[in-house]
Amino acid sequence: MSEFLDLEAQDGIRMTWNVIPGTKQDATNCVIPVSAIFTPLKPNPAIPVLPYAPLRCRMCRSILNPFSIVDFVAKIWVCPFCFQRNHFPQHYSTISENNLPAELFPQFTTIEYVSTAEMGPVAPPVFLFVVDTCMIEEEIGYLKSALAQAIELLPDQSLVGFITFGTYVQVHELGFGLLPKSYVFKGTKEVTKEQILDQMSFFAGKTKPTTGVIAGARDGLSTESIARFLLPASECEFVLNSVVEELQKDPWPVPADKRSSRCTGVALSVAASLLGVCVPGSGARIMAFVGGPSTEGPGSIVSKSLSEPIRSHKDLDKGSAPLYNKAVKFYEDISKQLVNQGHVLDLFACALDQVGVAEMKVAVERTGGIVVLAESFGHSVFKDSLRRIFQSSDNDLDLSFNGIFEINCSKDVKVQGILGPCTSLEKKSPLSSDTVVGQGNTSAWKMCGLDRKTSLCLIFDIAKKDGPDSIGQSASNQFYFQFLTYYQHHEGQMRLRATTLSRKWVAGSGGVQELIAGFDQEAAAAVMARLVTYKMEAEADFDPIRWLDRALISLCSKFGEYHKETPSSFSLSPRLSIFPQFMFNLRRSQFVQVFNNSPDETAYFTMVLNRENVANAVVMIQPSLISYSFQSGPEPVLLDVTAIAADRILLLDSYFTVVIFHGITIAQWRKAGYQDQEGHEAFAQLLEAPQEEADAIIKERFPVPRLVVCDQYGSQARFLLAKLNPSVTYNSDNPPPPGGDLIFTDDVSFQVFMDHLQRLAVQ
Amino acid sequence: MQVSRAAGPPFAGPPGSGPAPSSAIRAPQGPPPGARPFPGSPPPPSQPSPPFARPGAPLQQQSPPQFGGPPPAMASQPQRPGFGGLPSGPPPQVQRAPFGGPPSGVSPQAPPFGGPPAAVASRSAPLSGPPAAASYQPAPPAAVPQRSPFGGPPAAASAQPPPIGGGPFTAAQAPPFGGPPGSVPQTAPTGGLRPFGGPSAPSQQVQFGAPPPFGGPSAVQPGAQPPPFGASQSQAPPFMGPAGGNVPPSFAPPMWQGQGAVPGGMQPSMRMPVMPGGMPPNALGQGMSHASTPTMPYSPHAQVSTPSKIDPNQIPRPVQETSVIIFETRQGGQAAIPPAASSEFIVKDTGNCNPRLMRCTMNQIPCTGDLLTTSGMPLALLVQPFALPHPSEEPIQLVDFGEMGPIRCSRCKAYINPFMKFIDQGKHFICNLCGFSNDTPREYFCHLGPDGRRRDADERPELCRGSVEFVATKEFLVRDPMPAVYFFLIDVSMNAVNTGATAAACSAISQALSDLPEGPRTMVGIGTFDSAIHFYSLRRAQQQPLMLIVPDIQDVYTPLQTDLILPISECHENLEQLLESIPVMFENNRIADSAFGAAMKASFLAMKSTGGKLLVFQSVLPSVGIGSLSAREAEGRSNTSTGDKEAHKLLQPVDKTLKTMAQEFAEYQVCVDVFLSTQSYVDIASISVVPNTTGGRVYYYYPFSALSDPAKLYNDLRWNISRPQGFEAVMRVRCSQGLQVQDYFGNFCKRVPTDIDLPVIDSDKAIMVTFKHDDKLQENSECAFQCALLYTTVFGQRRIRVINLSLSCTNMLSSLFRYADLETQFTYVVKQAANGIPSLPLSQVRDQVTSTCINILQSYRKYCASVSSSGQLILPEALKLLPLYTLALTKSVGLRNDGRLDDRSYWVSIVSSVSVLLAIPLVFPRMIALHDLTSRDDDDSLVPSPLTLNSENIHDDGIYLLENGEDGFIYVGNSVNPLTLEQIFGVSSLAGLPNQLVLEPFDNELSRKVNEVVNEIRRQRCSYLRLRLCKKGDPSGDFFRSLLVEDKAPGGLSYVEFLVHVHRQIQSKMT
Repeated sequence: MSEFLDLEAQDGIRMTWNVIPGTKQDATNCVIPVSAIFTPLKPNPAIPVLPYAPLRCRMCRSILNPFSIVDFVAKIWVCPFCFQRNHFPQHYSTISENNLPAELFPQFTTIEYVSTAEMGPVAPPVFLFVVDTCMIEEEIGYLKSALAQAIELLPDQSLVGFITFGTYVQVHELGFGLLPKSYVFKGTKEVTKEQILDQMSFFAGKTKPTTGVIAGARDGLSTESIARFLLPASECEFVLNSVVEELQKDPWPVPADKRSSRCTGVALSVAASLLGVCVPGSGARIMAFVGGPSTEGPGSIVSKSLSEPIRSHKDLDKGSAPLYNKAVKFYEDISKQLVNQGHVLDLFACALDQVGVAEMKVAVERTGGIVVLAESFGHSVFKDSLRRIFQSSDNDLDLSFNGIFEINCSKDVKVQGILGPCTSLEKKSPLSSDTVVGQGNTSAWKMCGLDRKTSLCLIFDIAKKDGPDSIGQSASNQFYFQFLTYYQHHEGQMRLRATTLSRKWVAGSGGVQELIAGFDQEAAAAVMARLVTYKMEAEADFDPIRWLDRALISLCSKFGEYHKETPSSFSLSPRLSIFPQFMFNLRRSQFVQVFNNSPDETAYFTMVLNRENVANAVVMIQPSLISYSFQSGPEPVLLDVTAIAADRILLLDSYFTVVIFHGITIAQWRKAGYQDQEGHEAFAQLLEAPQEEADAIIKERFPVPRLVVCDQYGSQARFLLAKLNPSVTYNSDNPPPPGGDLIFTDDVSFQVFMDHLQRLAVQ
Repeated sequence: MQVSRAAGPPFAGPPGSGPAPSSAIRAPQGPPPGARPFPGSPPPPSQPSPPFARPGAPLQQQSPPQFGGPPPAMASQPQRPGFGGLPSGPPPQVQRAPFGGPPSGVSPQAPPFGGPPAAVASRSAPLSGPPAAASYQPAPPAAVPQRSPFGGPPAAASAQPPPIGGGPFTAAQAPPFGGPPGSVPQTAPTGGLRPFGGPSAPSQQVQFGAPPPFGGPSAVQPGAQPPPFGASQSQAPPFMGPAGGNVPPSFAPPMWQGQGAVPGGMQPSMRMPVMPGGMPPNALGQGMSHASTPTMPYSPHAQVSTPSKIDPNQIPRPVQETSVIIFETRQGGQAAIPPAASSEFIVKDTGNCNPRLMRCTMNQIPCTGDLLTTSGMPLALLVQPFALPHPSEEPIQLVDFGEMGPIRCSRCKAYINPFMKFIDQGKHFICNLCGFSNDTPREYFCHLGPDGRRRDADERPELCRGSVEFVATKEFLVRDPMPAVYFFLIDVSMNAVNTGATAAACSAISQALSDLPEGPRTMVGIGTFDSAIHFYSLRRAQQQPLMLIVPDIQDVYTPLQTDLILPISECHENLEQLLESIPVMFENNRIADSAFGAAMKASFLAMKSTGGKLLVFQSVLPSVGIGSLSAREAEGRSNTSTGDKEAHKLLQPVDKTLKTMAQEFAEYQVCVDVFLSTQSYVDIASISVVPNTTGGRVYYYYPFSALSDPAKLYNDLRWNISRPQGFEAVMRVRCSQGLQVQDYFGNFCKRVPTDIDLPVIDSDKAIMVTFKHDDKLQENSECAFQCALLYTTVFGQRRIRVINLSLSCTNMLSSLFRYADLETQFTYVVKQAANGIPSLPLSQVRDQVTSTCINILQSYRKYCASVSSSGQLILPEALKLLPLYTLALTKSVGLRNDGRLDDRSYWVSIVSSVSVLLAIPLVFPRMIALHDLTSRDDDDSLVPSPLTLNSENIHDDGIYLLENGEDGFIYVGNSVNPLTLEQIFGVSSLAGLPNQLVLEPFDNELSRKVNEVVNEIRRQRCSYLRLRLCKKGDPSGDFFRSLLVEDKAPGGLSYVEFLVHVHRQIQSKMT
């Protein structure tokens, strides 16, 4: 395991198979696809930043890297991908074995370039707030104070714009000094970029060019006209504060039996077009604060009548959500526009009911936006998350913009696609596989927004045909991969991060042990989770549990050790041993068992899963459980109902929720206030320990998880019980020990699951 | 009306010579001009103006004898003392009674003397005074002779001559005066005979010597009785009606700003001895027999080629009336003939409505349609339901029937009125409109008196007054009465800002805010627009208004539903600040486009829930958004081949967009007024559709001058919002069986055939209603008209104003002519012409106008005049000015060939709602000399007598003012005394005269007078004249001369030529 973590620490990559099945057939037999979860901007202080442009292979455009073969005499390097021989340019003339440029150092497989030549003026990031006003006064109050705080934290040089919406969309002209001024757009009609140009006086007094792309200062818009709407935070703080201060509930009356009329879709479309007009191609994010479902205009997800409930998973399955597909299509168009412009959509959805995250998911995910789902703007999940975006600290998000992700691989490796927050640039190349998973058909992807944790899941396709001549034909049995990430650094400059790695491949039946040794079961669980959620969305009538079970059984059949038809003989290598447990928990997780959640929640969970790294994905799939008691120090315990004891405190981290669960005795003591009494310092410490741990988790996680502090038998305890293996249920033969607990469920326990697995694997 | 004249009005004798009673124009054969055909007329020594008796006089006289009873009648008698016949003249004091007494209970405060300015005086002191004061003076006696260049004849004749027992006169009427035996119809043609015998003169004298017939204002008889008309200072607002007592003055008349203020309230002038009621110059039916008609004695054969032999001084011209007439609407059980609209009169409503409110083109109704057709005359009512009353008139009384609601005929739904006849001891009543016999509701039952009238008839206004208001009950409400909503919409596009129009509008609004009706129901909102529409939310809690922009001008909407329109009390200060900053905010606006239509639509949406007034200040051609327009004028010019042929098409709205929009506005009770301050073509033809459909009007300032126009803009706005008006009105006119309403004309929206919708109806708007026969009327019966107007007052009360007029029917063509109402008929002609302009080539419209005139005269010539004088042009006395007015009409802005399209469209739009009172001057302007104001000796009248409109009256050393109620043109000759220039304009030479005229008061007598005169005219016209300077030798001077309608013009005949033309046409038709 640890070697995988080391590799990840160096290059930000986890691969399912670190020894790669070398032929198409082998890869297929391996069940779990050859894939990688890559965190392009994983922070690593050891990574050098080179102040010059990279050297590229003139054939395949890949970048000089430690795997290149260098002829110091001839001043020639051979590209490991295409084997092209390239001459070093003049300024590399001093190169020698003892005088290597950083990019050739073997330890610098990941390296960054800041090209001084390309550095234009530093483009400040743009934040365009899009704020819902159809809320009760209380919520508006919360939102106001959150926004006010955010405004304070905005980097001084960043540009800010402000849009509010309800029945109508109001674009606030922050640069108008005399009065608070805003442009009002009808909520029932989409607004195009051309309309924005025409109707918001961008050409006042000048004739509009009849042809050509009209956008941005470079393209003929005066900076003054842009500066009406997007102002440096330092200049408009006062105006912005007063606009926020005067935020009011949407004044249009709402009948008692109706939902507020809320035109989220049009508001986002206006915001997208405004950014497209003002700052195309420059890093910008739309931060949408939405307090309820869109009911007006395109992109609406439910009718105004309260008698019609918002669509559920059941409705979606049955196709009885009439607005769903239209809305998704609408947000897809917005996402295309945003990707085109290089802009990000962040969504802060805070409401008790759904707001349409499921529909807007496409726009958020394709642009690499952040999503936060909470039940109120007063909830810490929202407030703290928002603060984290702007607050500089060790756990900075390092929000970066305008990324382009490119990939180079050895000839026999192709890319099916990426599952994660990015959009295919449809740059078809020999690298792109005909089989498409997620964002495919390309060797380059747009990542409008990315941060230090954004993780992409690349699904590879091994194209090498099985054949007698294939083996040993190639001089080396290494596959090379190069990941290039161009992005606008959060400080403004454009950077290029290049990661080059190589993996050994094996072919034929002899390599099974090697394959097993290279199997990263955590990465595999994360990949399977992304794949299963992707398939659930993409494939009609997809049965995720069956698919997962089959995969698991096949994997166990292939890699397990057993005597045929003898379940008891079954055993798995330690490299694979936890994987069934991951699958068991994945089957039970919110990703697969969606019917306990709303489509919005599911979309939210999926989006977060799809941008997280392996470690966090694993927590989502199989929460961690730590026990605190007087008997021992904090120790991880099995995610099982038997972990519950009266004198224990359990800390459950299921990523979205952190639960501190007090056993009944502890709970009683706590209620009695022993922790505040002298002589009971140990108890106070015991109570504090999980709290500290929870704080540590909350601090580094984004979106901030919800903290639930509960007691055994309390109603909130369900947050824990739902995640535990139901080894003791109401119809178990063995009643729980005193102080223990049981779960009211008919779900199978892990033991039963394993029994079945063994039986099926050995057939 | 029995007074008949043997002779028609003479064509003026030499000025000052006194009345020349003959009405025949006799050029060649007639007595030499100098010769006084009527020796008897010289005024008695003490009595400068005796000759001018008022037609009103006879009326009143008669009444006493008829039914001695009614006190009012009695009262009036004395006033009319002029005729020897007065048998029972009550003592002078009695006379006063009618005025002083009766109303006192009901409306202690007599409304201020009519005009807006008067009210001002009472209300906001200093500025207003002047005009008001001036207005009421009857002309001083001395002045009279001078003023009427053609001797008073018509007037004189009418008053004095005893009636001639012509066929049409009913016996009843005639008796009071024994007609002087001498007055024989036949005399007229010969010209020798005076219709009024000498004796009458003395009798008049006596009368005049008597105490003033009606008490003058307090000044006159301070100590004595309560001032008959109530002191002007205490007046209630002109419009308040009975409720006025406890309500603050509702309508402040506008102040005419910047004009010299003349202190003072009412003028004492009323007590002038001249009193006897003004007779309109050509008051009807004086000369009854054909013999009495004015004839034009020239022999066509001999004279065709030399029309100039007609003595231009002898042809009919209007005579200015200067004294006040007291008019009782019914006398002796019959409708009395109302005085001319242009004269000053005080009405006592004795059953028929005040003629200001409603008057008919003829005061007797033809029994059959054939008769009407034969006469060539139109049958139409002109209704001006909120016409400003004379301040001395009793306000319209309010009647509250409580839950029961007003009594109505159960069949035709007509409202109870004095002409409904109660029968069966009062148990039933017969509707005078449909003849249905209704049961009298028990609550309303009252016994009949011996005279067959209900005993309570005199106590119940609805049974004794021609006009009355009912409190509307719930069934008249579809919703709560709307608040008074005013939404101001200002063009802030580049040109509007640069020309100063925006600033002028903002300042006008800002000043006018305080003139809005007070109270919590007055709401205001404001918007601006260029290529987008800007709204302002004026929430009070906010420090600054919030500006909301609606950028989509194809599909507009209101950005907020609340907060855009707020009670004035909550946002007055905010609004003022905003208005101050708007010109600054848009100072550097580079957007030249203007989304007028879209802005109106968006504002409408903001007002939709309440309705109200939308006041739009527009400066350029609306170029973008809904209802955008194109510069059609230029297209028309560049494409002359089609342009000429289809020129009138450019006077039609370009498409239906604005019309459709306007109909929607009207449906939701939004009235649009458009103030066009522009320097270019704006397509008024299209724009005016909106105000004309919604009960508003167009105001036009072209070419806009930031220097001279803001004052007018402000005053127009101020009057617009402060004049008497009602909201969300529905009007219907009903008439007796036998007639039916044919059509309505005016500024309104008609969605069902019977009713018209008026989002706003104000005191300046008139509606013309035409009728046709669908059956015969009974001779000697009466034909009734009832106009019912359901509306909401600015204070939110729902009312029904009911205006009744009952006229007798006749089978006699000659009666029709005798009772014709010239001004109303001519107004009809003007409106018809305006109606035709957009759909017909101009030449055809002019031909139609002329042929209307010819047809009428020909009918008269054919059926009513003696055959003897075939060579003479014979004019019915009542209509003798018809040719002159017709000529003026063909030369008016609307019908002349050389007018700008917008000017013509504007004229058309104005005419559509113009009242009788203002229609005449619009076509036939008034010209006075300004340079010799100080040397006039008739100082009592503010406005000197008008000069005839021909260039002979224009001298190079003179300064003249010509006004038509809209514009005032000041013509400066080129050898004017520099001192005069200095005094009036403050410049020492012609060259120093500014092009943009602002008439400032200077500290000298002449300047004061000039300002007084101008202000008085403004008061009379309820309009702040737009003064323009015209210099000789300048295009402006040429334009001025083109307004002199009697002159021969490139495209038109001179007056004399026109008479010849008319005569020839008649001749050719006769043969």
